[in-house]
Amino acid sequence: MSVFTLSQAAKEEVLLKELSSLTEHHRANCEPYDRILSASGFSAAATVADLPYLPVRLFKNLELKSIPDDQVFKVLTSSGTTGEVSRIYLDKAAAAEQQRRLAATVQSVLGPKRLPMLLVDTKAMLKDRRSFSARGAGVLGMSTFGRDHVWALDNEGIVDLDAIRGFLAKHGDQPFLIFGFTFLVWLHLYEVARDNGLDLSNGILIHSGGWKKLVDQAVSPDEFRARLAGVGLTNVHNYYGMVEQIGTIFLEGPSGGSLYCPDFADVVVRDPETWAELPPGKPGLLEVVSTLPTSYPGHVLLTEDLGVVHGIDDGDWPGKRFSVLGRLPRAEARGCSDTYRSAA
Amino acid sequence: MQFRFGAEGELTAPSQDRLAVGDPRVVDFLAKLARKLLAPAVARRHPELGSLGYFLRPAELHRAVERMRRDDALVFPRGNVFHLPPANVDTIFVYSWALSALAGNHNVVRISSRSAGAAEVILEAMNAVEADPVIARTQRMVTYGRDDAITGALSKWADLRVIWGGDAAVDAIRKHPLRPSARDLTFPDRTSWAVLSTAGWRAADPAARRTAVVGFANDAYWFDQAACSSPRTVFLVGGDGAGVRAEFLDLLLEVVEARGWTVDPAMAVEKRVNAYGLAAVGAAAALDFPDNRITAMTLTGTERAPRRWIGAGAFPFAEADSLLDLVPAMNRQDQTVSHFGFTPAELQAFATELGGRGVDRIVPFGSALTFGAIWDGYDLPSEFTRLTALQL
Repeated sequence: MSVFTLSQAAKEEVLLKELSSLTEHHRANCEPYDRILSASGFSAAATVADLPYLPVRLFKNLELKSIPDDQVFKVLTSSGTTGEVSRIYLDKAAAAEQQRRLAATVQSVLGPKRLPMLLVDTKAMLKDRRSFSARGAGVLGMSTFGRDHVWALDNEGIVDLDAIRGFLAKHGDQPFLIFGFTFLVWLHLYEVARDNGLDLSNGILIHSGGWKKLVDQAVSPDEFRARLAGVGLTNVHNYYGMVEQIGTIFLEGPSGGSLYCPDFADVVVRDPETWAELPPGKPGLLEVVSTLPTSYPGHVLLTEDLGVVHGIDDGDWPGKRFSVLGRLPRAEARGCSDTYRSAA
Repeated sequence: MQFRFGAEGELTAPSQDRLAVGDPRVVDFLAKLARKLLAPAVARRHPELGSLGYFLRPAELHRAVERMRRDDALVFPRGNVFHLPPANVDTIFVYSWALSALAGNHNVVRISSRSAGAAEVILEAMNAVEADPVIARTQRMVTYGRDDAITGALSKWADLRVIWGGDAAVDAIRKHPLRPSARDLTFPDRTSWAVLSTAGWRAADPAARRTAVVGFANDAYWFDQAACSSPRTVFLVGGDGAGVRAEFLDLLLEVVEARGWTVDPAMAVEKRVNAYGLAAVGAAAALDFPDNRITAMTLTGTERAPRRWIGAGAFPFAEADSLLDLVPAMNRQDQTVSHFGFTPAELQAFATELGGRGVDRIVPFGSALTFGAIWDGYDLPSEFTRLTALQL
């Protein structure tokens, strides 16, 4: 069972239809969204790339939802670096659907059964309300796809070697799931496995969280993969996703190096000068589209991440395969204001 | 504490040095500084230092000193002045400091650690000037981290505290008490506009239109449209604005292109976010993104003109029948209105009708950023001096 099945042409046909009708749905149910599209002069799209995109940061500035207040079942928030928070409104149906699609996506590489799960994080992180943001939600969301959970780090954030050894003794001879943030996996699992001769060869690693910290340590995605293979961990899947398109993740294929789009989602790379779609091989700004956002107009989003499409229908799975290359630096203006953010 | 200019030592120690209003030693120093800033090599790299150099030429300095003199009182320096300039507009500290020095004050200027580029060039030039030693003892520029003790001590030392940097800066600094006799000169958040007469535009020949747009482009793009006096919303006055606007924007793009000015993708996204925000709340009815360097918005009314920064090269447009119709949309936060195509009578009537309830400067296109001794509604030379009444 996989959600990575459609060729690009087949996918675009489905997506154009569904995303166009979602656009109409949100216009009818979200007045600010309708005003934006009217002011931009949008009427209809002939291709997926023609669909009107919203900059993802808009969800930090505006309340955008297509459901009445009494239908709001869950409000998701993501904290940005500047303290602004995105607010994403889900009704019951959208909340259930995003969880179902996320499950289907990860099951494409895990299989249908829940696997024993090693979490490369600390349980204490869930209790700390201040840091309970994207990281906590990510861990909690993913933990439902495993069983017999063991935390690889203790409450102080120190590697709990006994716990990891106990987990491997019990489950290490069968497929098991490892989940964690890329940087934590590198620091707290890879190095520990290497130094202690742990056997992770039955593990399937799913990791996310950006490469910035690793690149700062001069560890490229390729090297990350090669070094993990060195400790027997060869089933490794990075993923890319954001709270503003909850339930949609772009998953790295088995042979590595590329992220793939599930059947209900896609990416468009845009030229940051002309905003036209760029062909494979040309890096630009990433737009992500997904049919999951039904309760808020987040189905076509312009991210602030740079990316590049490597190829179309030519990889492990059909459709576009791409990489995320980093973040667009935030615009900063000169100005008379803002000498002191706080008392000097 | 890093001394960027002036003699190191206790900043708040009592001083025996006395400067007069228009002290020749200060005039000499500023004139030499002007010469350094007007050197072609400097002006090429930092065009904004050219206007600063111009402001500091001897003729300008003597004019400023003349303005401080009065026949009804003796004029003296105000005393100790503590300046807190903004971090991001790297030349403004020199203007207020120079006027204050010219008035004979002892000055301490806090230079932001984030200052760069032009500010560094200015400090270098100041240190290279051969000056009377009294200058270094009375004029000090320092950089220090977030240190309440230092800010507090300088606030107690000051007879006048000059706070730039917007509302938040003013509020933060005001937590430090002044001496009872001292006071603040504050420069809070400001908004500035442009007004364009459609009749005046149509009457102007192509060269005049182009000159107007060149001036406007300088005003808008020089500080990423984020300086207090950078024009943001453009009010088209007199009806039938659509054609004028199209022509104005075409010319603007040409000028920006000719200057080689660019707007980076992050700024383009920022503008899109803000423009969408205006549309979402119903303040803008149409958005145009012809190019990253220009974002144009059609406001749904003059009263919907945004007072927050939209981005570099972001121009909301609104139409009005006459300048007087704009008066209700103006308030105390509004600083500069730069104009093109109006008759003197129209501008006079506009200023009179505003009645000081908003808008401190009404200047032609191209002059929005030109610093003057009258700024933000203050007559700075008079702020920097005190008066002794003498009846014989």
